[in-house]
Amino acid sequence: MNNRIKELRARDGLTQDDLAKKVGVRRETIVFLEKGRYNPSLKLAHDVAKTFGMTIEEVFLLEMK
Amino acid sequence: MRKVLLLFVLILTVAGTFALWLTSGEGFIDPKEMTMMGGLALIIVFAVFLGIRRIKSLRRSEPPEDEMSKRILKRTAATSYYLSLYTWLALMFFSDTTELEISSFIGLGILIMAIEFALAWVYHTYFAKINE
Repeated sequence: MNNRIKELRARDGLTQDDLAKKVGVRRETIVFLEKGRYNPSLKLAHDVAKTFGMTIEEVFLLEMK
Repeated sequence: MRKVLLLFVLILTVAGTFALWLTSGEGFIDPKEMTMMGGLALIIVFAVFLGIRRIKSLRRSEPPEDEMSKRILKRTAATSYYLSLYTWLALMFFSDTTELEISSFIGLGILIMAIEFALAWVYHTYFAKINE
């Protein structure tokens, strides 16, 4: 699963630390999310999307293989 | 904060026991003891590393654990449990041929379990795919 977190974070001028605090996770989790090494839970995906004022499917892009 | 304090109390207890063990000897440390001491030192280093990580998280006002770290911990527990079954099986197999006392033998098993846990955590955190 790909995501646009890095791009949206840059758009809103947020650091990884800021985003982590907003969604209540560790900074490391944001790093892993951006690298695509971790698929978030539905709640975290919702919280991240809400932070950017978007829907989950606009932030997280599911690749069908 | 409570968990961090508890972790450091645990580290101090293990390190204290380790120091006592080192100083109570008669000067000569045989290779078997040296191996066990090496393993114990590795565990202490790992615990200190975890403690420092937690302190850094506290300073950044981050939650000490979140969904990803809990997932890593679950996988680490599962992997180390699986490995420990085979460890004890191997230890039981070699129990007849070893000259170690039963208490040392059990201690060795527990030490190996701790090392397996540390290695599994490092593997799941830095090398494994958490997505799968």
